[in-house]
Amino acid sequence: MTDRPDERYWEEGADVPETPAPQGDPAPWGTTEVVGTPRPRVDAYERVSGSAIYPSDVTLPGMLYGAMLRCPHPHATVRRVDLSAAAALPGVRAVLSAFGPFDRAVAPHEELLRDDLFVNPCRYEGEAVAAVAADTPYIAADALRAIEVEYEVHDFVADERRALDADAPLVHSSGNRVAQPNRYVRGDVAQGFAEADVVLEEEYRTECEIHTPMELHGCVAKWDGDMLTLWESTQGVFTIQSQTASSLSMPLSKVRVIGHYMGGGFGSKLRAGKYTLIAALLAKQTARPVKLFLTREETYLAVGNRPPTTMLLKAGVKRDGTLTALEFTGLGSGGAYRAGGTSALDFLIRDLYLCPNVRTETADVYMNAGPARPFRAPGHPQASWALEQMLDALAHAIGMDPTELRLKNVPTVSQARGGNPPYTTTGLEACIREGAAAFGWQEAVVATAAQPADAPIRRGVGMAAALWVAGGGGPPSTAIVKVLRDGSVNLNLGASDIGTGTKTVMAMVVAEELDVDPDAIHIEHADTGTTPYATSSGGSKTVPTESPAVRAAAIDVKRQLIAFAAEQLEVDPATLTLRDGRIVSTSDPGTEVPLRELRGLASRGTVTGIGYRGPNPSGKAVNPFAAQFCEVEVDTRTGEVRILRFLGAHDSGRVMNRLTYQNQVFGGITMGIGFGMTEVRILDVDQTGKMVNRNWHDYKLPTALDVPADMTCVPIDRPDDEANTTGAKGIGEPATIPTAAAVANAVYNATGVRMTDTTIDPARLVAALDGPRKGE
Amino acid sequence: MSKDVSGAGDCEQRDSGRVSRRGFLSSVGTGALTVAAVGSAAAEAAPSGTVVQASELTKVALHINGRRHELLAEPRWSLSFVLREELGLTGTKSGCDRGECGACTVLIDDVPRYACMTLAVEAEGKPIVTVEGLMRGEELGPTQQAFLEEDAFQCGYCTPGQIMAAEGILRANPDPSLDEVRLGVSGNLCRCGTYAHIFKAARRAAELKREMGGAA
Amino acid sequence: MLPSFSYVRPASLDDAVQHLAAAGARAHAGGTDLIGCLRDGVFEAAKVVSLADLSELRGISDSSSGQLRIGALTTVAEVAADPVVRERYPALAQAAAAVASPQLRNQGTIGGNICQRPRCWYFRGEFHCLRKGGTTCYALAGENQYHCILGGSRCYIVHSSDIAPALLALGATVRIAGPRDGRAVPLDEFFVPPSSDVERETVLEQGEVVTEILLPRPEVGLRSSYRKVRGRGAWDFALAGVALALVITDGRVAGGRVVLSGAAPIPWRSREVEEAIQGTALEPDVCRRAAEAAMRDAQPLKRNGYKVPLFRGVIEEALTAIRA
Repeated sequence: MTDRPDERYWEEGADVPETPAPQGDPAPWGTTEVVGTPRPRVDAYERVSGSAIYPSDVTLPGMLYGAMLRCPHPHATVRRVDLSAAAALPGVRAVLSAFGPFDRAVAPHEELLRDDLFVNPCRYEGEAVAAVAADTPYIAADALRAIEVEYEVHDFVADERRALDADAPLVHSSGNRVAQPNRYVRGDVAQGFAEADVVLEEEYRTECEIHTPMELHGCVAKWDGDMLTLWESTQGVFTIQSQTASSLSMPLSKVRVIGHYMGGGFGSKLRAGKYTLIAALLAKQTARPVKLFLTREETYLAVGNRPPTTMLLKAGVKRDGTLTALEFTGLGSGGAYRAGGTSALDFLIRDLYLCPNVRTETADVYMNAGPARPFRAPGHPQASWALEQMLDALAHAIGMDPTELRLKNVPTVSQARGGNPPYTTTGLEACIREGAAAFGWQEAVVATAAQPADAPIRRGVGMAAALWVAGGGGPPSTAIVKVLRDGSVNLNLGASDIGTGTKTVMAMVVAEELDVDPDAIHIEHADTGTTPYATSSGGSKTVPTESPAVRAAAIDVKRQLIAFAAEQLEVDPATLTLRDGRIVSTSDPGTEVPLRELRGLASRGTVTGIGYRGPNPSGKAVNPFAAQFCEVEVDTRTGEVRILRFLGAHDSGRVMNRLTYQNQVFGGITMGIGFGMTEVRILDVDQTGKMVNRNWHDYKLPTALDVPADMTCVPIDRPDDEANTTGAKGIGEPATIPTAAAVANAVYNATGVRMTDTTIDPARLVAALDGPRKGE
Repeated sequence: MSKDVSGAGDCEQRDSGRVSRRGFLSSVGTGALTVAAVGSAAAEAAPSGTVVQASELTKVALHINGRRHELLAEPRWSLSFVLREELGLTGTKSGCDRGECGACTVLIDDVPRYACMTLAVEAEGKPIVTVEGLMRGEELGPTQQAFLEEDAFQCGYCTPGQIMAAEGILRANPDPSLDEVRLGVSGNLCRCGTYAHIFKAARRAAELKREMGGAA
Repeated sequence: MLPSFSYVRPASLDDAVQHLAAAGARAHAGGTDLIGCLRDGVFEAAKVVSLADLSELRGISDSSSGQLRIGALTTVAEVAADPVVRERYPALAQAAAAVASPQLRNQGTIGGNICQRPRCWYFRGEFHCLRKGGTTCYALAGENQYHCILGGSRCYIVHSSDIAPALLALGATVRIAGPRDGRAVPLDEFFVPPSSDVERETVLEQGEVVTEILLPRPEVGLRSSYRKVRGRGAWDFALAGVALALVITDGRVAGGRVVLSGAAPIPWRSREVEEAIQGTALEPDVCRRAAEAAMRDAQPLKRNGYKVPLFRGVIEEALTAIRA
């Protein structure tokens, strides 16, 4: 999905060959008993009791605490690092920098330290400069304060819009362009605009958003001889394993990564951090376990963000609502390194609506700021902010309802992809129609239009639609289901549950096939030492990737059990099925055997089923779709916006768990509200280039008082049987894509003011309301 | 050209002379004593004028979940650090260490507070309840049960703090309105965005507590 | 992670004052601001003097003279919930309820709230700014969206307390204990503008500590309110706020005070508004003109020009609401 960063330590692991296809795809489920019901999580007890051990909770005997010193300047060369005072502090056990001295434990990694971990010059505020390990985190912090560093400070550029200016300081000597702009053309845009009755053009900007998951980034590292174990807060233990093994020149088998619980990632924990390797090296130096979790402030500087984006969009439409042309240019920056500053930025423009003539150009530039990382639907909320406000403006311009304009332009094929493959399923129309009906859209539009013109408190409604470029998942995935001699079940899979309910959904898949209580299934997951390979949990692909493999494994084990029963009962296996812990005959009601009396099972102790994820259908595109609707109340004297209600209508294929599905939708909306209304990275662009709001007070995440209690989830529950054998598509990312634009459209509906830049906060809105109102 | 950012480098300006001697710490790090609570949580303040030096570990008695814990702590140690790293009560989470997220919320004197903004020495003598203290043996307490039923979390990292905030609301007001619930949990961030379910859970918890009568 | 400090918890106010007289000593009341400042290296503390055992500084009571006495260690939450405060001084109850977050209101004290250090991100951050003894106010040419539009001089912070404007509007006095004799200071004289001294926000000297806040008996016809506009629904300081304490007799404004928060380096009394509404029935055009008058001398910086229409809006709205 995202551009590959050029930093070596960031590289993805070696390609994994596709696993074998399952023994023929099973038939689609049709109706289900367990799958699709609202079900509390199988690990809820652990999470609400406080007994779940997250990586940051791990405490080991003799454990030390690591901490990192970071460059306080956006652009500087480190001339000297003096660690002597820090090293001399009682309780300090190890110090590290690119300047040595390198003891025997770290000497083999000198190049790694110099070239990859403590990069010099430092191109962003927060670049790693040194690290320590000490008896307590307090002593570690004392040690950081005792390190003396001499910096040669350079000019910087901290605004991507100035990065290509002739006099802009160079982030890299090769220049501030990451690459030549990405260009895409289809049809004849000039012709399209000529055919249009209305052509509008607008510039939009979205601010840099920072992930800030609740659990800090970090890990605990422990060596046993040449074996390294990491407890890391991560979205993918196998990625951490491969990156760590590669960086430390170790075999994969000697790096075990465990990530049973993790406190949120949103894309920022898809790869190993410098902290991972530094913790490992500090642990090696001291021969003691080291816990290294970043401070909250560090997470604002150094572990990713959603790039700031400036977009120009021109669109043409006929009076009947036919889109004739879209022309889009986007500028973004992934910070000081190649990190996907314009990743997937133009995909919605190219694919969401039927339009024969499209031209896009996106330019990714370097700036002296922390590198981006994939952030929940990279590029999409930004483009949605532009495209969906533009659709709203076009609808207004031609006097058409915004839902009607969108319905007029629903595609059945993916226009952005070569060969225009059809979608396996598209619920875009259903999302818009069923969402609007459930919201009471028409009535709400009439009601807001009827407000007195001079009322200072004004209501407005807005909507936006979306699709997500991925969300279909795919191979490789391997799952193991074991049935124990008493009939109880173990599920073993490598994927991380990043809070989306992966474990619960997979247990429900097993329960569906084996007719057991999901809560009774023991799940082993996210441990490179004990589970099969899995790709990282990201891209809204975990359920569509893993659930077919899990289903195949359950079917595989069921087939074996039925074979044992057929032998034992001396009947045709085709007449047998598994029900409530027994193999029963479908033709002869009296013929059955409980699993615990199944000789083939008892003699083996365990029967193991293995399932693999088959390939996606060729020549087809698998995408989730969405439409969201909201109503706001604006105090036009102060610019305060209160969101009264939100509705998300989503086509993500089969709903696997109605409860966790809804939770994803509401969570996506909440994050979208932050993106659109409260969250801004603020750099001191004119003076020091430093980030001034590196905490949760100055960088404003939405609180419980910023989101409506009135949220509605309208699932468009249509199994996508062509996509995979469970019929599911992803939900995590599409849930956040259209939210901010829907709010902006509602604010426009309420006030007549078009907020083209995030964030819609009282400061910006009151200023916009104070200026001349934009025309109809 | 070099820009003047004097003062920007926090690390450069610090002297190193203020750091205390604490060489024996590793041997007492996990040496916290736990004994059954006796009587009330009477304060054991240092006598007026007795200064605990920055370099000293001082004895602190904390009353946590109905038990009394004695340990040695530096004056600067936060309650959240002591709970998590010294006493192993890791249900209390650490999200920001600066009083901005609520993951470390515990009840002190029955009201929700940020353990990261509370010095352990300042918590001495006061009853402290953490998420572990809401359990009834192996059974979930009503607020925990309500969070489970309503799926009021995703990643779960803010959850103990949310539960403690909700518990604090309910101890003060057994039948809170939706607005009172929203206000009551407004000091607890949830980056996964599960607030709508948290609101339901808090009100469900009120129901469960009523159903259980005084027992809860 | 905090740097180290020594710690003492004296049993009496006299002992506390003695401890606090030493250089580098800092009082710990609720600790919410102290710990944040120590963590961010805004200042250092050689010794933290805990006021936790001074129970005489806690609580709300009527004094014989009809004043309401609020002990400095009374928590913000206790002030917000107090029935007497809510009935007699709604502005104070509303302001207290608008502070930070529930947990911080449960911990932070009213004395600490009015003595809190500025929230300017340059002051709190890794910048050796004027207020920390440096030579530059970074806000002047920097990211000044949350800085002052009135009363700035060399330094452009805003005073971040919600409670202080309400207390100032209500005519409160603070009582202070110190190494020498205690003193009482009207809140009008408590805050120090940067034009007088750029490194302090209050008149407190080393070793002095606020012990109580005294509110005058409400005049007949007193109506008060506090309205705050912020960037998000909780845990946020005022972009703009207004505390009103108006005496309204026979439907007309007979006197009172209007104090702005989020406007200036100190809680900012707007005599322009007070003059514009004096004697009026707060008719809509009066409210509008008063709001205009409040901003007459505003001098926005590069990024906080929005505060001018915002203050106009919130003042007009608050005046309109209090009339009803």
